[in-house]
Amino acid sequence: MTLAPGPDERADSDPPEVPGFRTWRGLYLFVFGWFVLVVVLLTAFTAIFS
Amino acid sequence: MNVADWIVLLGTLVGIAAYGAWRTRHIRSLNTYLRGSASTGWGTIGLSVMATQASAITFLSIPGQGFESGIGFVQNYFGLPLALIIVCVVFLPMYRRLNVYTAYEFLGQRFDDKTRLLGAGLFLLQRGLAAGVTIYAPAIIISTVLGWRLDLVIVCTGLLVIIYTVTGGSEAVALTHKWQMTMISAGMVTALVVLLHRLPDGLGFTGAAHVAGALGKLQAVDFSLDPSRRYTVWTGVFGGLFLSLSYFGTDQSQVQRYIGGASLREGRLGLMFNAVLKIPMQFVILLIGALLFVFYQFAPHPVFFNQAEWRRHAADGRFAALEARHADALAQSQSAIRAWLAARASDDATREASARAAMVAANDRTDAIRADARAALASADPRAKTKDSDYVFITFILSELPHGTIGLLVAVMFAAALSSKAAELAALGTTTTIDLWRHFRPLAAADEGRNVRVARRFTAMWGVVAVAFALFAGFAENLIEAINILGSIFYGVLLGLFLVAFFLRRVGGSAVFFAAVAAEALVIVMYFSLNIGYLWYNIIGCAACVAFSLVLQAVLPPRVRADEVRAR
Repeated sequence: MTLAPGPDERADSDPPEVPGFRTWRGLYLFVFGWFVLVVVLLTAFTAIFS
Repeated sequence: MNVADWIVLLGTLVGIAAYGAWRTRHIRSLNTYLRGSASTGWGTIGLSVMATQASAITFLSIPGQGFESGIGFVQNYFGLPLALIIVCVVFLPMYRRLNVYTAYEFLGQRFDDKTRLLGAGLFLLQRGLAAGVTIYAPAIIISTVLGWRLDLVIVCTGLLVIIYTVTGGSEAVALTHKWQMTMISAGMVTALVVLLHRLPDGLGFTGAAHVAGALGKLQAVDFSLDPSRRYTVWTGVFGGLFLSLSYFGTDQSQVQRYIGGASLREGRLGLMFNAVLKIPMQFVILLIGALLFVFYQFAPHPVFFNQAEWRRHAADGRFAALEARHADALAQSQSAIRAWLAARASDDATREASARAAMVAANDRTDAIRADARAALASADPRAKTKDSDYVFITFILSELPHGTIGLLVAVMFAAALSSKAAELAALGTTTTIDLWRHFRPLAAADEGRNVRVARRFTAMWGVVAVAFALFAGFAENLIEAINILGSIFYGVLLGLFLVAFFLRRVGGSAVFFAAVAAEALVIVMYFSLNIGYLWYNIIGCAACVAFSLVLQAVLPPRVRADEVRAR
C-alpha cells in the first residue's frame, strides 16, 4: 500500500518554533534529559528520606 | 458541606459544563465534532490529554496509595515520557498524514477491514468496560462519605457529561478540559498548602518527610529485579512504556485529543507538555498521601477510614475494643515519633537508631490494629468493603479544609470524573460511528449532517450504557488497579497490531489478525494462571502479537498472501 503524502509531511522537518530549539530532535532530547533528571532526583529523594 | 461549598461545587461543575455546551451548540461539521476545532493550540491539547488521563480515581485513590503503601507507585509513570516521544515521532505524523478520525481507520488502510474491526472491537470492549468504573469510582466514595444516594450521584454525573459531550463532541470536550484541569490544579495546590499548615508546629515539610521516610513511605524508586514486585523502576520503564504507548498511541480517547488541532506542531507540543509534567504531578499527588500519613500520626483519626462501612457493623463489641486499642497505639506512636525527632536533633547516632527502632515498632503496632480492624469487618460480613485507603484524602478534605474549599475539592473529584468520562464517551461514539456504522453503511459517509447526528446518538448511547453499568455492576475495591489491570490485558495486543502496522511492512492483514487473536488468548490464560506484575502483560501481549504475526506471515498459504498483496 502506498501512503499518499499529506500536508503535514513537510511539517515533520519544520522547526518546533520553541525558543532554544532548532529541531524536533533537540526538543525530544531535552524531554528525555528531563526524564533522566527526574529519575535521578527521585533516587536522591529516596536516599535522603528513606 | 455548607451553602458556600454547594455554591462552589455546583457553580464550577455546572458552569463549566454549560459553557462547553453553549460554546459548541452550533457545531454541524463532522470534522469539528469528531476532531475538535482546527485552531486548537498546544496548551489546550496538552491540558486535554492530561485531563483525559487524570480521572477522579487519580485524586481519590492515589493519595490513599501514598498513605498506605508509600510513593513507589510513581514508577508506574516512568515509561510515559519515552512513550510520548515515540508517539510524536511515529504515530501522530501518520495519523495526520492519513487524515483519519480514529486510530483503527489506520489499521483498515494498512491491513484490511477485519483487522480494523478487531482493533476497534478491542478498544470498545476495554474502554466500554472501564466506562462504568470512571463514573462509579468517585460516586461510591463521595456518596458514602457525604451520605448522598449513590444512584442519584451516578445519574446526575452521567447526565451532565452526556449533555455537553453529545452537544459539542470533541470540541466541547477540549474546551471543558481546559477549565476542569485548571480547577483541579488549583484544588490540589490548595489541599497541599492546607495540609502543610496543619502539620504540628515545628515539624514542617522537611520534618514530615523525614518521618514519612523513616516509616517507609518515601521510597520513590526501587531497582529490585524481583518480577513479583508490582512497582519497580524496571516495570515502570519497560511495562509502563508499553502501557503508555498503547494508551497514548492506540486508545481513541487519547488519539482524539491530539489528532485535531491547528497543526502537527500543536499536537506534538501538547504531548511533550505531558511528557514533562506527568511524573512530577503524580509525585506531588502521592506525596500528599505520604504527608497525610504523617498528619494522621498527630491527629485523631478513625481506625478504619470508611466510617460508613465501619458503623454498619459497630454494634459488635469487638469494634469498640479495636477503636480503644487504636487510640492507645496512636498515642504511643506519637510519643515514639517525637522521641525520634528529638534524638535526630541530638546528633547521637546510637540514641537515634534506638528511637527509630521504637518508632517503627510503634507504627507496626498501629498497622497491625488496622489489619485487625479489616479482619473484624470481613468476619462480621464477608461482603464488607475492607479497603479504606480511598477514603483517606476525602476524610481529610471534609474534616480539615475550610468551607468553600471543601466544595472546591469535591468539585475537583467530580471535574476529574467528568473530564475522563467525556473523552471516553466522545471516543466510543466516534469509533462506533466511523469504524462500525460507516463501515457497514459506506454510502452514508457522504451525508455529513447525518454522520454528525449518528455520532451524537452513539455518544449518548455509550453514556447511557456507562451509567447503567455504574448503577448495576459491582466493582473491584482497588479501582485504579482494576482499570490498569484491565488495560494491561488488552492494550499490549492492541499495541502489537500498531507496531506491526508501522514497522513490519511485509506482514499482511490475515497474519496480524490471527496473531492478535492468539496473543490475546495467551495473555488471558497467563493472567489467570501466573502471579507476575500486571504491567508485564503489556509487553507479553505486544511481543506475542508481533512474533505470531511474523510466524504466520511465513507459514500462511501463498494464495492468502497473494490476495493481500492484491488488496494492498
